[in-house]
Amino acid sequence: MSENLSIWEKMQSFDRRWLYLVLIVLVTFGLFVSPDIPAQPDESSVGLYVTLDGLDENDTILIQSDWTNSTRGETLGHLEALLRTVMAKRIKFVMYTFADPQAPQVSRDALRRLNDELPEDKRYKLGIDYLELGYFPNAEGATQSLGNNIRTFWEGRKTRVEGNGGDEMDIFRTPVLENIQKLEDCGMICVVTPSNTIDIAVERLSGKLPICCMCTGVVGPQILPYYNAGQVAGLAIGLKGVYDMEMMMAGGLNLDKADYPNSVRSDKYSENKALPVVSPIEGKSSADYSLGRGKKYYAALNIALALMVLAVIAGNIGMYAAKRRERNA
Amino acid sequence: MNLPLAAIWGQDPGSGALIGYLVGAFILGVVMMVAMTKMPTRGRKPSVWIATFASGFFYFLFWIWPSPINRGPSDLPVGFSEKVGFGLQDALPKVANIAIILTAFLLGLGIYSLLHVHLGRLFKKQKDWQFSLILVVSMVLMIIFGYWDWMQRQFNDPDLLLAKMDNWGFVNYSFDLLFDGLLQQMDAAMFSMIAFFILSAAYRAFRIKSIEATVLMASALIMILSIMGAVDMVYSNMIDSMTGGDPGHFLNDAKITAVASWVKNTMQVPALRALEFGVGLGALAMGLRLWLGLEKGGVS
Repeated sequence: MSENLSIWEKMQSFDRRWLYLVLIVLVTFGLFVSPDIPAQPDESSVGLYVTLDGLDENDTILIQSDWTNSTRGETLGHLEALLRTVMAKRIKFVMYTFADPQAPQVSRDALRRLNDELPEDKRYKLGIDYLELGYFPNAEGATQSLGNNIRTFWEGRKTRVEGNGGDEMDIFRTPVLENIQKLEDCGMICVVTPSNTIDIAVERLSGKLPICCMCTGVVGPQILPYYNAGQVAGLAIGLKGVYDMEMMMAGGLNLDKADYPNSVRSDKYSENKALPVVSPIEGKSSADYSLGRGKKYYAALNIALALMVLAVIAGNIGMYAAKRRERNA
Repeated sequence: MNLPLAAIWGQDPGSGALIGYLVGAFILGVVMMVAMTKMPTRGRKPSVWIATFASGFFYFLFWIWPSPINRGPSDLPVGFSEKVGFGLQDALPKVANIAIILTAFLLGLGIYSLLHVHLGRLFKKQKDWQFSLILVVSMVLMIIFGYWDWMQRQFNDPDLLLAKMDNWGFVNYSFDLLFDGLLQQMDAAMFSMIAFFILSAAYRAFRIKSIEATVLMASALIMILSIMGAVDMVYSNMIDSMTGGDPGHFLNDAKITAVASWVKNTMQVPALRALEFGVGLGALAMGLRLWLGLEKGGVS
């Protein structure tokens, strides 16, 4: 009986571990080759890059890093792209989390790795260029309090300052926050999250400062209504969001190809133009500095998605082949 | 408005007054906990409700009461309404701090619960006690090396040299191995297993058996293809060659990214808005029930 089955029908009952093996082999292959895959940036990623591009060197921004390594395939790339842009432009930032006790250490490690890449005179210094404020449980209450008054919310908090001999200093006396009297004085807030903490930020902080978000592909659709309503100025979704950011950082956005050959094009936002980031590392081009995990993982993502499409098609053909046999029998 | 609580939080770290306040708060907490434990259920329910109502009432008042706008540090309130508005605004960070501290207690509760379950299993040599042993040992090691690393950075590194990996010692490498090398990698590995389940489900379960399933699959394929830059670019270039690069040509709407954008903005976002409205209304109803003490579960 079984020798009369078509190849599609036989495939219906094959061991799923073969499928897993194919996935492992192909995705691993994808990690070792990182070709230049042309892609138009999502409109929401454009919004994020344009918002970042509009910041000045003296601005201070808030980075709410709410992720841990379970989603690092996407969120580590997000944070690295954000930090690389911020560090290249010498923007000051305050990093904290409202979501997970592990998150501060994870983002601290990411920041340290990026800082180690920079030459000594360009390294970001604690208390001078950035602040790490750690974990605040109860995202709802903490965000509301932050929105009410940033000064009273972080009142009395102290930080160590690099080059200060280990003495602590009130965070509002540091160069990072000394000019911040109210939340509106911050250039933007960017929430890097795999969860709904961005919902709370939109609910409590909307209208006070530009809100941007970098989120996993799973959470992305949930945040799109806020982006479409203009409550979120920019949104990088999933690994494609990381790739979009890196491509815009490396080549700029909608620039003249004669001057910027790597500039990416956005049909929908052709009037928006943004420059590539200038590498702070001597001898490294913008592309060398900017292209990281997004470029490294994007081929693997394409391969995995292609495999999934093929699996869906093969599964359905098998089902129809079996149905046809039943009808003919 | 100088709240009494501000006097507590405003004390200098390590001062005698602060230690006195902390000891007093600890004793008061223990007394309240014992009182709540000894209290009959008849009395416990109203106590929990009063605490819940009072907490919710603050945020309710904060929400409905006119709030001072662009208030300067030297501004003084005029009249009852402004006094209350200023008071509520001043009290918010204190109340938020209390809520943050209470939430942090959940971590302690989690550790207690974890140890209670796994030490019990370990000492009674119940089934799979070996896993409990690994869990407890890992937890203890992480706490020891975590604190050791933190103390080194906090007290023995005035020049913040440990910010660079070159200056690390045994403790820092050990903590990094435990946290980043083991815990975080296992965390990522667990999450990555979803890829296998998704692929298996795509092959075995994603079948076109109805019109709804067909629509679902068509939408999913459009979204997947729109993320695949190579496919998108080949298809877009094909359309560009047909339109001659005219941005106003109607065929541009057939590009994958344009179709995906239409699906997202016209189908997905409105559906999600409707869902969010539903969830919001449900949360409002549930919140009101909890606040007004109509929800009977969880307080006995």
